[in-house]
Amino acid sequence: MTHKLTSGDHVLKADPLARVEGEGAMRVVVKDGKVTDVELNIFEPPRFFEAFLRGRAWTEPPDITARICGICPVAYQMSACLAIEDACGVQVPDEIRLLRRLLYCGEWIESHALHIYLLHAPDFLGYDGCLDMAADHRDLVERGLALKKAGNALMTLVGGRSVHPINVRVGGFYRLPTRAELLSLRPQLERARDDALATVTWVAGFDFPDFEQTQEYVALRSPHGYAIEGGSVVSSTGRSFDVASFSDVVVEEHVARSNALHARLDGRTSYVVGPLARYSLNQDQLSDLAREAAHSAGLGPQCRNPFRSIVVRAVELVYAFDEALRIIDGWEGASAPAVPVPPSAGVGHGATEAPRGLLYHRYELADDGTILDAVIVPPTSQNLASMEEDLHLFVADRLHLGHDELTLRCEQAVRNYDPCISCATHFLDLTVERS
Amino acid sequence: MTSLLIGLGVSHRGDDGVGIEVVRRVAALQPQGVDVLEVDDPASLLDTWSGMDHVVVVDAMSSRREPGTVLTLDVTDSSLPSEGWAAGGTHALGLATAVELSRALGRLPRRLMVVGIEVESTAPGTQLSAAVSAAVEPSVVAAMRALEDGGA
Repeated sequence: MTHKLTSGDHVLKADPLARVEGEGAMRVVVKDGKVTDVELNIFEPPRFFEAFLRGRAWTEPPDITARICGICPVAYQMSACLAIEDACGVQVPDEIRLLRRLLYCGEWIESHALHIYLLHAPDFLGYDGCLDMAADHRDLVERGLALKKAGNALMTLVGGRSVHPINVRVGGFYRLPTRAELLSLRPQLERARDDALATVTWVAGFDFPDFEQTQEYVALRSPHGYAIEGGSVVSSTGRSFDVASFSDVVVEEHVARSNALHARLDGRTSYVVGPLARYSLNQDQLSDLAREAAHSAGLGPQCRNPFRSIVVRAVELVYAFDEALRIIDGWEGASAPAVPVPPSAGVGHGATEAPRGLLYHRYELADDGTILDAVIVPPTSQNLASMEEDLHLFVADRLHLGHDELTLRCEQAVRNYDPCISCATHFLDLTVERS
Repeated sequence: MTSLLIGLGVSHRGDDGVGIEVVRRVAALQPQGVDVLEVDDPASLLDTWSGMDHVVVVDAMSSRREPGTVLTLDVTDSSLPSEGWAAGGTHALGLATAVELSRALGRLPRRLMVVGIEVESTAPGTQLSAAVSAAVEPSVVAAMRALEDGGA
């Protein structure tokens, strides 16, 4: 619908912007046929958490920061654990790392299955949302939910429950799953891996607009396979640095119009984190099955079209199942569910690959373990500057489209990033102003 | 018969956490035959309530009513009003979508009721507004009634 403002400008407002949540707004300003401004105004819960983590005990961040997001609590827990352990000079044994990776696979599966099937696919198939899609393609929606359920099962077994796992602690876990318990998941995970392969084939057949991102890609790279539960930072221009240097390289600037901070490399260069960056930097580390699926889907060694992120997510889904099965098959137990992490004064850094990209935590501790300072840099704030740049270019090439079509396309472009705008109650409103 | 009471919301988003607060109060009363669950991802409800006999969800709503207004709705055979419950987000489904998707896929519980509390503010913070705080006790009563209704 078009409203005429008292100023005489025309405003196209899509409310609510379906399947985008958060207390934010997107505004595109078009003057004399040219895009002059694109703004995403976004509220970020992590900022609020940084403040109230101060004064809490060093053992608390995994449970507190998990509450930032109902979709990616494991990411917050894992980055928090790594940062606290780093501050205290502790490195967990490899079995604990493997179990963390297994739990994290569960979260990738839950998050990617939800995004692919219920949030993103309807865009490509011309549906308003998953409800309309379910009416015509009940079997597909059921397959998506079965995939998500397999992720839930992993999260429940390793994490204690499927949302906000309670089995995670600094130093490891409270309880180790038994080998028998892990093996009991095998049939479900194998079936779901087949469904994930079918998912790759399905989404590879969608129509994708021509669009190439030019920004620098940033992801973790790990000696333990496709980066999930840790690693050091690499980029598509050849940067390579330890997580401890993250806050030296990444400079966050406050943007006046928004609550959000925009992160830039060296304070200048916008960049992209998430599935496309991970794939483009680490696809050589995918399992054979996942790499073959990527190849069959027409993905090359890099993927820079954000609309194809749905294909990359599907490939990562295959990989997550493959990894989960590999870890389960090789699991020989651990000597203890956790190692002691005695408090120590210092600063610690931790980063892991959340489903939507690199998530960095930094904590400064007093000698009794009291948290003096906390910094959390979520993937969405790292992508904000690039999202705005993408939308700027994307809209400029599509100004000939009608308002409704353009609005839909912009919504889709935002959804490419699966932005974690806010785990809250409000929608993002999209406004295109033309004058 | 065991009923399931679900508090939906995010405790650090002001009044959005009212559903959580209400079910905690109900849980403290230790009602017979009632399981209590706190949820902040409505998509998980598709699995949670599938096959259940009787489920009551307590959630914040935003419908331009007077803040603190408490409504009890039986959604077993009818949809949630579109004004009041968000349809969903980029990486989550809303309660209304979870209900309708469950209906489309045959996953609704035998009886599903929703107690909605009109919010005043969902600004970051763990405090409820005065109007919503005052609505907590009436909401506890409404939730208990809804649990009894379904069990009868």
